[in-house]
Amino acid sequence: MIPLTRFRRKALPLAAVLALASVTGSGRAASGDAASSSGRAAQSGSAVASGGNSAPPTAVTKPPAQAVTKPAVTKPSPPTPANLEALPASAYTGILGKKIIGPDGKELGLVVDVVVDAQGGPHAAVIDFGGFLGVGSRKIAVDWRLLKLTPGAPDWKISLNISRDEIQGAPEFKPDAASGQMVGPPPQGPPSHDVDR
Amino acid sequence: MSTDDRVAGIGSAGKGRGRPAATPAERSLDWLNLFVGNIQTGFGPFIAVYLTTQGWTETSIGLALSLGTVAAMASQIPAGALVDAIRGKAWVVLLSILAFSISALLFAVQPAPLAVYVAEILHSFSSCTLGPAIAAISLAVAGPSVLGLRFGRNARFAAIGNGIGAVLMGACGYYVSERAVFFLTAALTLPALVPLLPLARLDYSPPAAGVGAGAPQAEHASPLRALGDRRLLIFACCVLLFTLGNAAMLPLIGNTLTKTVGSEASLVIAACIVVPQLIVALASPAIGRLAEARGRRIVLLLGFLTLPIRGLVFAAAASPVPLVLVQALDGIAGASLGVMVPLVTSDVAGRSGHYNLALGFVGFAIGIGATASTTVAGWIGDRLGQPVAFASLAVFGLAATLLVLSAMPETKPPHPRPGAMAPRRRRSE
Repeated sequence: MIPLTRFRRKALPLAAVLALASVTGSGRAASGDAASSSGRAAQSGSAVASGGNSAPPTAVTKPPAQAVTKPAVTKPSPPTPANLEALPASAYTGILGKKIIGPDGKELGLVVDVVVDAQGGPHAAVIDFGGFLGVGSRKIAVDWRLLKLTPGAPDWKISLNISRDEIQGAPEFKPDAASGQMVGPPPQGPPSHDVDR
Repeated sequence: MSTDDRVAGIGSAGKGRGRPAATPAERSLDWLNLFVGNIQTGFGPFIAVYLTTQGWTETSIGLALSLGTVAAMASQIPAGALVDAIRGKAWVVLLSILAFSISALLFAVQPAPLAVYVAEILHSFSSCTLGPAIAAISLAVAGPSVLGLRFGRNARFAAIGNGIGAVLMGACGYYVSERAVFFLTAALTLPALVPLLPLARLDYSPPAAGVGAGAPQAEHASPLRALGDRRLLIFACCVLLFTLGNAAMLPLIGNTLTKTVGSEASLVIAACIVVPQLIVALASPAIGRLAEARGRRIVLLLGFLTLPIRGLVFAAAASPVPLVLVQALDGIAGASLGVMVPLVTSDVAGRSGHYNLALGFVGFAIGIGATASTTVAGWIGDRLGQPVAFASLAVFGLAATLLVLSAMPETKPPHPRPGAMAPRRRRSE
């Protein structure tokens, strides 16, 4: 046990350095596929738009594309954006891969996706639920407002006040299905979403 | 040492007193199979869960796992040829196991995409060299007439290793963390190296590559001729069809169970995974004995026939107890396939000098079947419902059984002394 932990202590910083040097670009892509690609699209889109004012578009479209991809890899760090805002871990958290705790205190599953509405606000959490060693697990969508988060607790202890048996019968969430369904609040619960917004 | 001594010795579950020369090597091989089975567990189902906890999206996890599958498929046959070309099979095992531990450490230390992709490819390739190398060592350790018993023991100890690994790593993932599972996997590669020491001293020169007494390797030098053997092609078709029906069975059962059984679904699914492994551990030696006594065809038929039975029962039944009981039949199929793949391949290609190439070819067929199976079953299940999906898998199993019945020739080499097996045969029935 001791050599293992000692190794881990040594290896982690080393790996972090290696990762910073070589795989930052791809690392970012994995932590939020959709986020990074949409961000990239937005950036290049705005670059084209602003370029159209000053110079012919053909000359401008190429340099921005390089400017977007290169800084992640090359050594000299790019200038930090002027419009930075605070995002402290005490107030915000990423939610992909976080555990959902059921009413009995046991793990229900992991958050694997977030469903957003037309405004981009979160509408439902997709939970990979049940099973053993990945066999027999199903994805189930749950109303976003049913998640209770506990800032400060380890992993924010995201809890869901729905028992296993209640979730059991919920239909499997399929991203492409035209008639998807999610587990909503109990009938006596808070008012429906449309009134909320 | 006579054949009878060795048969009796191995048959009595390793009590082997009075079998001087072979014992240390055989024991080492037992341990090697156990530890390798142990390590392999860590790479299975934990990867998807672990990467999910690391914030990986479904898409990127799918990409990483598919990369591993593609790498495994692509390297089966070349890896087999490579193992054929290397004389020191123990070295191949050593390097493969080291590659395993590097792969596990890559997962554990830095689950960034590049590291994960490298780890997946490394693991896939070394799996493709490890299996054939262990089979080749088995050929050298056991004589041709007791090969079935040897492979039976291999399958038994691999199943025990799998079971122990699943318990250790399941507990580790539950009580410590998903990441710790991969550190544990890396740590468990170390004891796997110990039994290699006595095996490294064995002689793997031509008799190892070719089972037959004094069959010169140069005689059938062409790899294409080894792969073109009609018996090997039919056998590959049989196992492909069987895997096509079998691989999706467990995920499909799991899927049905989470919907139908209440909160103890996880427990029932766990039983559906563990019980067949227990059966493999219990039944494999008997399966090996049966193959040596009665031939390969009967064992293949016995194993394959369990698949249509399971498919049909699963299509009809939904309550957990019969499900687990019938799922136990998977253990019979698993033992049968686990023993027959290396054994039939050695019957056909053991003397050719291309044994591992042929094993890689059969492994490739199994890979195709397994990959297609989940896709086909998922497609049918979505459109026509789970019972139809189960029934379709049963049809594939039935087709595999019928193919064995109609086309697969008996590959068991004519025994030098047919009477030698008679007493053993009666006891194994």
